[in-house]
Amino acid sequence: MNPISIIRQFIQGLTSDTEPGQIGWGIALGFLIGLLPKATLTAQLLLVLLMALRINIPMALITVLLMTFVNPLMDKLTDPVGYYLLTSQALYPLWTKLYNTPIVPWTGFNNTVLMGGLVVGVVLMAPVYLAGRKFGVYYNAQLKEKLTNSRLAKALKTTWLLNWYFKVNQ
Amino acid sequence: MRWSYLLPRFIFLVLVWAFFFFAFDPILKWSLRKGMEKAAGAKVEIAEVKTSFLHPSFRMGGVTVGSAKEEFTNLVEFSGLAFTLEGAPLLEKKFIIDRADLSGLKFGTPRKTSARLLFAKKEEAPGFISDLKAEGTDMAAERLGDLKGGAAKDVQVSPDSLSSVKIYEELQKKYEAQYAELSKKADSSQYQARLDAIKAKYDEASQQKDFLKKAKDLAKIEKDVKQVTSDFKNDRKLIEDTAAGLKEGLNAAEEARRKDIEAVMGRMKMPALDTQSLAKMLVGPAIADKTDTAMKYLAMARKYMPDNSAKKQARAIDAKRGRNIHFPKENSYPSFLIREMSVSGELGLDAPLDYSGTIEGITTQPRIYGKPLIALVKGAKAGRALDFKALLDNTGAAMKGNISLKYSGMAVKELKLGNPSSISAAVTGGTGRFEGDLNLAGENIRGDAIFHIQGAKVAPQADSIKLAPLKTAVLNSMSGLTAVGMGIKIGGTLTSPTFALTTDLADKLGGAFKGVFGAELASAKAEAQAKVDAALKPYKAKLDSLTGSKQKEIKDKLDAAQKNVSGSGDGILNNLKQQAAPAVPGAGKIKLPKFKF
Repeated sequence: MNPISIIRQFIQGLTSDTEPGQIGWGIALGFLIGLLPKATLTAQLLLVLLMALRINIPMALITVLLMTFVNPLMDKLTDPVGYYLLTSQALYPLWTKLYNTPIVPWTGFNNTVLMGGLVVGVVLMAPVYLAGRKFGVYYNAQLKEKLTNSRLAKALKTTWLLNWYFKVNQ
Repeated sequence: MRWSYLLPRFIFLVLVWAFFFFAFDPILKWSLRKGMEKAAGAKVEIAEVKTSFLHPSFRMGGVTVGSAKEEFTNLVEFSGLAFTLEGAPLLEKKFIIDRADLSGLKFGTPRKTSARLLFAKKEEAPGFISDLKAEGTDMAAERLGDLKGGAAKDVQVSPDSLSSVKIYEELQKKYEAQYAELSKKADSSQYQARLDAIKAKYDEASQQKDFLKKAKDLAKIEKDVKQVTSDFKNDRKLIEDTAAGLKEGLNAAEEARRKDIEAVMGRMKMPALDTQSLAKMLVGPAIADKTDTAMKYLAMARKYMPDNSAKKQARAIDAKRGRNIHFPKENSYPSFLIREMSVSGELGLDAPLDYSGTIEGITTQPRIYGKPLIALVKGAKAGRALDFKALLDNTGAAMKGNISLKYSGMAVKELKLGNPSSISAAVTGGTGRFEGDLNLAGENIRGDAIFHIQGAKVAPQADSIKLAPLKTAVLNSMSGLTAVGMGIKIGGTLTSPTFALTTDLADKLGGAFKGVFGAELASAKAEAQAKVDAALKPYKAKLDSLTGSKQKEIKDKLDAAQKNVSGSGDGILNNLKQQAAPAVPGAGKIKLPKFKF
């Protein structure tokens, strides 16, 4: 996906796919992706899933961005969780088998932050979704109008390149 | 689902498939041809390339690689190369081939079209090869033709004109720098500082009240003392070996002195007609090209089968975020490996000899594969026999290897020796036998080869020699011969090998020269030698004095350091011995090192 396409989807996402559930799922998935190291097949597959599902992309992307600021703190939680799981004697045969399975090493499952991030992310997904849903209701009532009429959104839309891109892709 | 997102990606995948199905093989063929042309410096033709992805396989057929030196000759050609790649390692970007088949391999075949590339860079032969060629031709062209009855006596020798003087001056500068570095290394202060630190730790540990902690600290101190003594021992050996190795540079100076004497004799119109020089003149140019090719193949083997490949496999445990936990790998693959390749082809053009064999363990990472490259090729037909064996072991710290080639019963059509501008000989007919062995140990190379021709006719030519008695003696010495033998001994290192050539033709020629010039030759040589040695004397004396004094200085420093290290180390260990037994009851005996250098 090219940068212009991301900006286009971002702006379009401000007004479409804005049901509270869609916003909630966008934030939850963004939260999960945000926790993981990005240069792994796992994070890339989750990004593809994010783009393919009918969920709110701007909220997901904003959440991923926000998580990068929180990650130094979150790593202190996810790293020991991942380390505990990856060095567990009971799970050792499973990890060894996965490590020797083609392609699987590219997922980065043997990284402590990724493994811990996946577990913490999945566990926290439900509360994050519920919080995101509540935020969706608030967004539709209070923020949607303001954001679509904001100077930034208007300025982006009037850029000739984006303008042309919107026309071509309509 | 967001079909607007998924559909373009699906179309993209279809296009990727179409590319690999229709366009991949022609593009691969083109890039293979270009790559091979760049490597060979000549035109390459490839008739077909076929790849398959579902069961990864490769086949290349009708390949001819032109020779950069001979326009209408192929360096090599083969009818087919086929192999199947293992799928699982491909996912790790590893190319593992269990069996490959190289068939129809031929060398030196003629070609109808020119092999010359338009913008190919002309490859320069290594210095030692051009020297080998030049030495023979220079002597032949410049000196033999002008031979008169006696030697010119009034030749002056100035030190500036001698190449041996230049080498002595260079050696002096080099030795001064290297000895200074070794002397610094041999200084005992670095070991003393480490022992002082250990002594301080020992004093601190002695005061420790907690027995268990004390025992632990003392054990560590013992280990540290052992480490210091072991480091010193290793450093001493390294320093002594390096100091001894410096003397090897003198061999080059001696060789330069020999050449200087030859040059002075040349100026005296009396060439140094020893058998070594004559052998270089007769067989040097013929052997130089073959040696060049052999050295190129060796250099290629070292380049693509490096001995430090294990270092590239080092993995970081700490990741950018978090830590990577590594689990045991069931299969660790090198980046490229052909476990076994069968080879078959023909040797010779007029009456080709069929041969076949195998090459095992072709890999770019020998350390990971852990097995050496082994090649066995054999062929036999109507009194002819070929036996090629090679073992290249690069699984350790340095390459070790042994290559042997035996080829007997080959027909010799025509072999030209010497230089037509002075003395040459055409050897026609007969049957040849070649036997060669080459050993490699790291950078060092050692080998010898003989080529013997029997039942041949030798036709000498010495038209350019003006001195009639000499010309007759030269022609008579070689006429009527039916057997010719020649040999080469290789020594030195891969980057700077030394060659000693022999041939029985040179012995015969040497006899002819001696017969004509008699005592005049020996006297001229003695005079030339005296002149060169007189010019060289001050430089040689200076270097001898430098090496003598510096070697002594380093030895004294090492002896002093040894005394310090063993004295201080023994002191600490004796104290440890006294402390260890009563302090840690029941902890078992602590083994203490003995100081013997």
